[in-house]
Amino acid sequence: MTTEAAITIQQLSKSYQESGRQHEIFSKLDMQVRRGEFIVLFGRSGSGKSTFLNLVSGIDPPDRGKVIINGINLTGLTEHERTLFRRHHIGFVFQSYNLIPTLTVAENLLLPLELIKRITVKDKDKVAGLLARLNFADRLDSYPDRLSGGEQQRVAIARALIHDPDVILADEPTGNLDLDTGKQVLELLDTLVKKAGKTMIMATHSQEVIGMADRIFSIHNRSLVSR
Amino acid sequence: MSSILDRASRNFLWQHPWQLALAIVGIALGVAVVISIDLAMESSLTAFEQAGKAFSGTATHRIIAGDGGLDERLYTRLRVEQGIQKIAPVASAYVQLTEQTEESFRLIGIDPLIEKSLQAVWQQQQKANKTSVFLTRLLSEPNTALMSEQSAQRLHLKINDDFTVMADSREQRLKVIGLLAPDNAVSEQVLARLLITDIATAQEVLGLFGRLSSIEVVLDKNRPEILAQIGKVLPANALLISTDSQSQSMREMTRAFSINLKAMGLLSLLVGMFLIYNTMTFLVVQRRRLIGSLRAIGVTRRQIFKLIIGEAFLLAIIGTLIGIALGIALGQGLLYLISETINAIYFRIDTTSLMVSPVQIGKGVLLGIGATLLAVLPPAFEATRFSPVTVLTRSQLESGSRRLIKVAGLISLVLIAGGMALAFFSGKSISLGLASIFLLLFGFALLTPNFTLLSMRLIERLFGRFLGILWRLPPRMISAEISRTGIAIAALMIAVAATIGMDLMIGSFRQTVAQWLQASLRADLYVSLPGEKMTADKILADHRLKEKLAELPNVQMLSSVLHTKIITDDEFTKVSVFELNAKSKKGFIFKHKVGDDLWNRFEQRQTVIVTEPYAYHHDISIGQKILLQTAQGNEPFEVIGIYADYSGDQGHLAMSRHNFQHYWSDLGYSGIGVYAKDGTDLQQLENQLSKLVTAEQSVKSDRAIYKASMEMFEQTFTITETLRWLSAAIAFTGVFSALMALQFERTRQLGILRAIGITPRQLTALIFGETGLMGLTAGLFAIPAGNVVAYVLIFVVYQRSFGWTMAFYFNPWVIYQGLALAFIAALFAGIFPALKMAKTKPAEALRTE
Repeated sequence: MTTEAAITIQQLSKSYQESGRQHEIFSKLDMQVRRGEFIVLFGRSGSGKSTFLNLVSGIDPPDRGKVIINGINLTGLTEHERTLFRRHHIGFVFQSYNLIPTLTVAENLLLPLELIKRITVKDKDKVAGLLARLNFADRLDSYPDRLSGGEQQRVAIARALIHDPDVILADEPTGNLDLDTGKQVLELLDTLVKKAGKTMIMATHSQEVIGMADRIFSIHNRSLVSR
Repeated sequence: MSSILDRASRNFLWQHPWQLALAIVGIALGVAVVISIDLAMESSLTAFEQAGKAFSGTATHRIIAGDGGLDERLYTRLRVEQGIQKIAPVASAYVQLTEQTEESFRLIGIDPLIEKSLQAVWQQQQKANKTSVFLTRLLSEPNTALMSEQSAQRLHLKINDDFTVMADSREQRLKVIGLLAPDNAVSEQVLARLLITDIATAQEVLGLFGRLSSIEVVLDKNRPEILAQIGKVLPANALLISTDSQSQSMREMTRAFSINLKAMGLLSLLVGMFLIYNTMTFLVVQRRRLIGSLRAIGVTRRQIFKLIIGEAFLLAIIGTLIGIALGIALGQGLLYLISETINAIYFRIDTTSLMVSPVQIGKGVLLGIGATLLAVLPPAFEATRFSPVTVLTRSQLESGSRRLIKVAGLISLVLIAGGMALAFFSGKSISLGLASIFLLLFGFALLTPNFTLLSMRLIERLFGRFLGILWRLPPRMISAEISRTGIAIAALMIAVAATIGMDLMIGSFRQTVAQWLQASLRADLYVSLPGEKMTADKILADHRLKEKLAELPNVQMLSSVLHTKIITDDEFTKVSVFELNAKSKKGFIFKHKVGDDLWNRFEQRQTVIVTEPYAYHHDISIGQKILLQTAQGNEPFEVIGIYADYSGDQGHLAMSRHNFQHYWSDLGYSGIGVYAKDGTDLQQLENQLSKLVTAEQSVKSDRAIYKASMEMFEQTFTITETLRWLSAAIAFTGVFSALMALQFERTRQLGILRAIGITPRQLTALIFGETGLMGLTAGLFAIPAGNVVAYVLIFVVYQRSFGWTMAFYFNPWVIYQGLALAFIAALFAGIFPALKMAKTKPAEALRTE
C-alpha cells in the first residue's frame, strides 16, 4: 500500500425521484482511498452501498461532487469516456455473479481483455493459468449455468482481475452464498486482490471480512461514517 | 376469481404497455385483413346480385339469350299465345353520360304497364302513388328517365333537366322526370348507377330495335307447368334460368378467386397468431416469479390458467374491435382492387361502397377471439407448470424448450410430408390444395427453431475463430433464447416464404403469359370492334369494314374472331369463332401432339378446339363430343384440340367461322387481325386503319396489345401483392414485438456488459448483429419453404383454381429480394430496441431483475 490516493471522493451527492418526490441517498460524501487499500463498506439494505459503487465506477453519474481515480475526474467525463475508463481501470464483482450466460468460462474472462486489445495466445495462456489456479482447468469451455454459485463467483472475481485494473469494486460478493462458500470467496479476493496490490472497495453485510479490511466505513444518515 | 389476484397480474401488464400494445396490434391486424377481404369480396358480389334485383324484383326466373339477344316477338307469344301474365320485358345495357361525368350507367328499359307487379327494388322505396306517376310519365312521354336523388345531385341535374347518353357511338337526349329515393344503403348502391326508362326508349337508345335483353318471369309455385310451357317456345339461343341459380353461378365463377383471397387473409391471421403466442408467452415467462409466489400462497393451477385466459380474452376483445374497425377501413381500399380484378377476369360489376353485415362482423369477432385463445393455450398451460417453491431460471426454461423443439422437429417432418401428400392426392379441391400450403408452412415454421440452432452452430464453427468474443454473442444469444427467438424467426420465415412463393408463382405466370402472348399475337395490327352484338347495324358495319381492310394495298391477309356465347348443357358457354390464316394458326399452343390434318378438320368438320381451363373444368379430353344447342336442336361437336389460353379462367370453346355460320346467325366480328405485306411501314398502315374505324373501335399494334395485356395481368395481381405486404407487415410487427420483449428481458445482462466497459455503440451493434442474424436465418429458411409453396401454388392451387398449367421459372432475384426483405425487416425491427437499450443507463439496467 502506498500513501498516494488511488480514489478521491469529494462532496459526492446523489438523489433519485420516486412518485414525483426527491429522495436523497447521500449528501456531500468525502473519502480518500490509498493505492492498494481494501475498504469495506457496511450499511443496511437500501442505504446506498450499490449506488456508491456505481458512482465510483462511473456507471452512474453523481448529482454533485467529484470522483477522482488515478488523477482522472470521472464526473468531468462523458458517458462514452467513462465507459472506456471503466473498461481499462475498473474490475467489478457483483452479488449475482453476472457472468454472461452465453459465453463460456474462458470467454467470460477473455471478454474484458478483448475490449482493450487484440487477444493473443499469451492472453489465452493467462486466462488458462488464472483459471487453473482457481481449479477450473478442466472447465474452460463450460457455460456459467453449469457452475454452482460459489464457482460462478470465483469466475466473476477472475473476470474482474484479468485485465489488471487499478480498482476492484465488489458489491455484496458473498450475498448469495452460504457461509463456507462465502469465506472461500473472501479468501480468494484477499489472495488475488490484496496481494496483487489492487485497490478494492467492497460493499457487504458479512462480518467475516472485518479482519481483512484496512478501513471500514458505513453509510448512515446519508453520510459516510468511519468505524 | 378474486379482484386482488387480478390486480396482482394486471399491474404487471400495465408495467409492460409496449408488449400489451403489440399483442393487441397482432390480433387487430390479423382480424383486419381477414375481415376486409370478406367484406370487400361479399360487397362486390352482393352489389352484382342487387343490381340484378333492381329490375327483377319478385321475378323467380329469367329468359336470356346469347349475344343476338331475344326477339321481342317471343314476349308477345308468351303473353298472348301462351297466356302467361306475370312476365316483363327488359332491354338493358351500359351507357355513358357524355356531359356531366365519365361514369357509365346501366340503362334499364321496362314496360311501365306491367312493371308494378314485379315490385323491383327501385319501386319498393317509393310511395305507391309516386311510382304510379313515374310509370305513367315514362309511358306517355318519350325519351324520359328516372334516376336516384343521389345520382341527380352528383350530376347536378334536377327534374325536367335534359342529359345526353351515349351507347355504341349513338347519342340520345333524355329528360329526368323523377327522382328515386332509396331508404337504405343497399338500395342506394343499387340505384347509384341506374337509369330507368320505358322499354321503347331503351331500345332506341341502345339500338336494340325489336330485341330484348331478357324477359323476367314471376313463377307461380302452384303452376309449375308454366316452365314447360315457356320451354316449348324458347328459341335455340335462349335459356330459361332461375334468378337464384344465376347469382349462384356468378358466385361459383368467382369461387376460386374468393378462396385464394381468403387464404391470403388466413395467412395473415396465422402470422398474427404467432405474434399473439409469442407475446403472451413472454408475458407469462416474465411473470414466472409472480406466478410462483401466487402458487406459494395458495393460488391453484386452475386459477392461474383462468387468469391468463381471462387476460387474453380481454386483449382479444380489444384487439378484435380495433381489427374490425381497421378491417372496414381496409375493406374500402380492397373493394376497389377486388372489383377491378372481378371486372378484368369475370364479369362487369360497378364499384360500390362497402356493405357491412352483422354476420360478417360476428365472423370477425369469433375469428379474433378464437384465434387469440387458441394461441394463448400453450403459454397458459406453461404458466400452470411454474413451481410454487423454485422459480425456474431462464436456462432451466430454455432446456425444457429444447426438448420441445426436438419433438416439434419430428412433428414438422410429419406435417411437411402430410402437406405434400395432401397437395398431390386431394383431387381437384382448391381448399385442400391451399390447406396443404398451410400444413407445409406450419411444418417449416415448426422446423425453424431446429434450423436456427443448426445455423447458429454452423456460424460459430465456421466464423467463430475469426470473430472476437463479443461477436460470438449474437449467435449465442439467439441459440440461448431459442424458445423466443425461434418463434419470431418462424413468423418472419412464414411471411417471407409466402412472399417468395407468391413472387415465384407470379413470375412464372408472367413469363408463361408473356410467352403465350408473343406466340399468339401473329398479326401486325388488330382492329377491335366492341359493342352490342344484337344490333343489325353493327353486323353490317363490321362486314363493310373488313372488306375495306382487305382492299388496302399494304394488307397481305386478314384473320378474324368473334367472341360470343352458345348454349351447352343448359348454360351459356363462351365461344371464340375464328377465321384463321396460315400465320394465325401458328399462334395456338396445343397441350398435346397435333396431327397435320388438325386445321383441315377444324375448318371442314363439326369440330371444336377447347382452351385448357375449359378442358380442366369440364373434364374434357380429345375425341370427346360436346353437344351445342343450335336452331336445329343439339348438335355434337368433336373436341380435336386443347390449347393454352390465359385470357380467362372459365375457359371457352373455339370453332371455325365456317362451322359457326352453318348453325348460328351472323353476329359480325369482335376483332380483325391485319397482316401487312413485307416492307410495309406499320405506323403508316396503323394511321390508315385508324381513319377507317369509328370512335368506339380501335386499332392497336401487336406490341400495344402485348403491353396492355401485361398491364392487365399486373393489375389482376395488385390485390395479391397488397395482401402479401399486409402479412409481411404483421410478421414485421411480430419480430419487432419479440425483439422488444427479448431486449427488455435481458436488460440486466446488457447492463453487465455496459458495466464491464461495452459502449452504447457496441451494444447497438450487438443487438443489430442479433436481429440481422435472425432475419438472415428466416430469409435462408424461407428459400426452400418459398420454393415448395411456389411449386404447390403453380402445380396444385392455380391449376385447380383456374385450370391453367404454367412452367416453373426460377428467378434468383426473387430469392435475393426475399433474403433482403427478411434481413432488412429484422434490422428495422431491431432499431427501436437497440436505441432503447443503448440509452438505458447501466445503473438502471443493473437494478433490473
